[in-house]
Amino acid sequence: MNRLRRFLRTPEAIAGVLILALLLVMALAAPLFFPGDPQAIAGPALLPPFQDWRLPLGTDRLGRDVLAELFHGARTSLAVGLAAAAAALLIGAVVGTLAGFAGGLVDEVLMRVTDAFQTVPGFLLALAFVSIVGPSLSVVVAAIALSAWTGPARVARAEVLSIRERDYVTGARVIGMHPLEIAFREVLPNALPPVLALSSVIVAAAILTEAALSFLGLGDPNRVTWGGMIAEGRTVLRTAPFLSIIPGIALVLTVLGVYLAGEGVVESTAVRRSLS
Amino acid sequence: MSELTISRRGLLAGSALLLASTALPAIGFAQTPKKGGRLVLAADSEPRNLNPAIVASNGVFFISSKIVETLAEASFDGKDGLQPRLALSWEGAADGLSVTFKLRDGVKWHDGKPFTSADVAFSALQIWKPLQNLGRAVFKDLEAVETPDELTAIFKFAKPTPFQLILNALPALSSVVPKHVYENGKIEDNPANNAPVGTGPFKFAEYKAGQYYRLTRNDAYWGKDEPYLDEIVYQVLPDRTSAAAALEAEEIQLAAFSAVPLADLDRISKVPGLKVITKGYEGLTYQLVVEINHRRKELADLKVRQAIAHAIDKDFVVKTVFLGYAATATGPVPKNDPQFYTADVPTYPFDVAKANALLDEAGYKRADDGKRFALKLLPAPYFNETKQFGDYLRQALAAIGIDAQIVNNDSAAHIKAVYTDHAFDLAVGPPVFRGDPAISTTILVQSGIPDGVPFSNQGGYKNAELDALIVKASETLDTAARTELYKEFQKKVAADLPLINVAEWGFISVARDTVGNIANNPRWAVSNWADTYLAG
Repeated sequence: MNRLRRFLRTPEAIAGVLILALLLVMALAAPLFFPGDPQAIAGPALLPPFQDWRLPLGTDRLGRDVLAELFHGARTSLAVGLAAAAAALLIGAVVGTLAGFAGGLVDEVLMRVTDAFQTVPGFLLALAFVSIVGPSLSVVVAAIALSAWTGPARVARAEVLSIRERDYVTGARVIGMHPLEIAFREVLPNALPPVLALSSVIVAAAILTEAALSFLGLGDPNRVTWGGMIAEGRTVLRTAPFLSIIPGIALVLTVLGVYLAGEGVVESTAVRRSLS
Repeated sequence: MSELTISRRGLLAGSALLLASTALPAIGFAQTPKKGGRLVLAADSEPRNLNPAIVASNGVFFISSKIVETLAEASFDGKDGLQPRLALSWEGAADGLSVTFKLRDGVKWHDGKPFTSADVAFSALQIWKPLQNLGRAVFKDLEAVETPDELTAIFKFAKPTPFQLILNALPALSSVVPKHVYENGKIEDNPANNAPVGTGPFKFAEYKAGQYYRLTRNDAYWGKDEPYLDEIVYQVLPDRTSAAAALEAEEIQLAAFSAVPLADLDRISKVPGLKVITKGYEGLTYQLVVEINHRRKELADLKVRQAIAHAIDKDFVVKTVFLGYAATATGPVPKNDPQFYTADVPTYPFDVAKANALLDEAGYKRADDGKRFALKLLPAPYFNETKQFGDYLRQALAAIGIDAQIVNNDSAAHIKAVYTDHAFDLAVGPPVFRGDPAISTTILVQSGIPDGVPFSNQGGYKNAELDALIVKASETLDTAARTELYKEFQKKVAADLPLINVAEWGFISVARDTVGNIANNPRWAVSNWADTYLAG
């Protein structure tokens, strides 16, 4: 409770949480507000925003409701962002813990693999992966996770290296616990907080990567995505700029919200640490 | 619903306005052409092989038609729909076994050597027939080219070949290249394929990859006082939105082949000093078709194909996807073709209820989730319009309970997936009608075409009756009888729907007011531009 209050004391955290809450509501309520196919043709094509109360944000080149697309796009963006971040954190935490706890050859091998992934620019890796496997939502998630797990792996390893020398770990060894059990039940939970602090950065980066992939036509074409909306709007940028600007603003707000909330978490934990 | 009608009316008014705006400047251009100047225009692709005798495609013609000339060019009002270029006259024998061309006198190649009938014989026998993508079919029975004198070329065919087909093929398929440049070594590897030598009004000067192609005036051109321009520069602008901006900034004076997106035309037509021209592509009609893979059990059923045809609102496609710059299609020959088109074919008016009834009849009932079956839909990536129509088709099919999943590919992967691997159920394709169904249209439905031939029947469709009709038409010499056979062909295709023709469109040019003699023949963008000029 105390921590939550501290967290909410920073104005950027409040702003971040508000934006994220709004986004979450949008994503969850999309099928309620806009039942049916968001890509269905709902009215005349290229209707500007604020002309017709039934299509408040206007329509795109084919007459699809931009607001409905925006809501359903929030689902894709959030789903991809969260799923990719979860996958990246999971892979990273496991690899980092194994490397840090086992040490020696295992550490060496795992960390060199991590290095190898880190030297390839993440976006290029995702681009190559999607172009080879073919665009679909799960592939996009995998592609983003593939390029994002190295950060968590390094942080987890560094934490594990210091934790494994603690007394309670030696204690666990003495009572005869299996090394893997020690690694994942005793060490990993204590190494997690700094790793989780990376999550906001990863979620934000994942949302942007997904948008960029969709923009290049490598997203799932059967789903509405903000990146895809921007790409489609680009062909009529001069005539109907709102088609690119509206999803662009949504994207900026989302990434901003995730960053601000993440900042808030980091700051509140920092205060706690300095207090203790 | 009421808004929909208002917007349609608005759109119509808008397009009428556009038409008016293109008509007005045309009146002001009845002035004498001015000599000199450099025309800078947008190019959206960079073909590597610029030899139009080998690669007969509009992307190549766009640049090389100014350098390498054909025997004749299409014309709005000339005899046989043609105007003479390297050939002055043409005459077909009654038995269909020979065609005699009288060639133009005093024509010189860009390297100074004289142009003779030997060059025509060489191009026809060594390049058009064995190497050219389209010539292979049209000149398949060409046996020999006799050259009794330097200005006469007599084409000899092993089997009767319709004169009408040869005439219709001349503008696109008869680019003549110099024998003395090509006779040694492998023709495909000749350096002149990248720096063409021709007889045209312009000489190839230089190409900077990713930047520009530059052509300069041929001072020894056979046309009196022609060409008017000193230079043509093709500025490579692959991004379509940048072509519009470059026009407005006066960096380029012309953007052909709809380099300016259709949605921008309304705005750009109001920019002072720019004009939007819809003419000059009548001989290059693109067709929007739904290609069907008949290997799929559902799609092999005629009722399902009819249902899909009824589910497509062609008027909506023309008005929304093409913003009015297209016409609805009735069959495999476009409406604007003066020789072969017939409207007397089965039609499929937009009728969702009927489409649903047809699918029920065919035995594909809706499941509990409202879906009947799922399909893979591959829209061709070459044009914005084909991609957008793919999005529309997905929605149109959803309305009749067919769940179409779009698969996006780049150009190379799309051609492989559809024409080699047959990994599609429905595809959206843009084949070109080239003035005669035998050139590039009948292969869309003919069976027995080897895998991997792009823009041909790769959907596994086989109809012995249609195949026999196609063969018969290709051997029929009498023009009227041949035309009649192709009308029959259109009826049968529209009835059996091996593919669904949705719309047909020409391209749009946008130019500065100063560019004169634009769109004065049906293949203007890919003609030689000898008479194009810059005023002021």
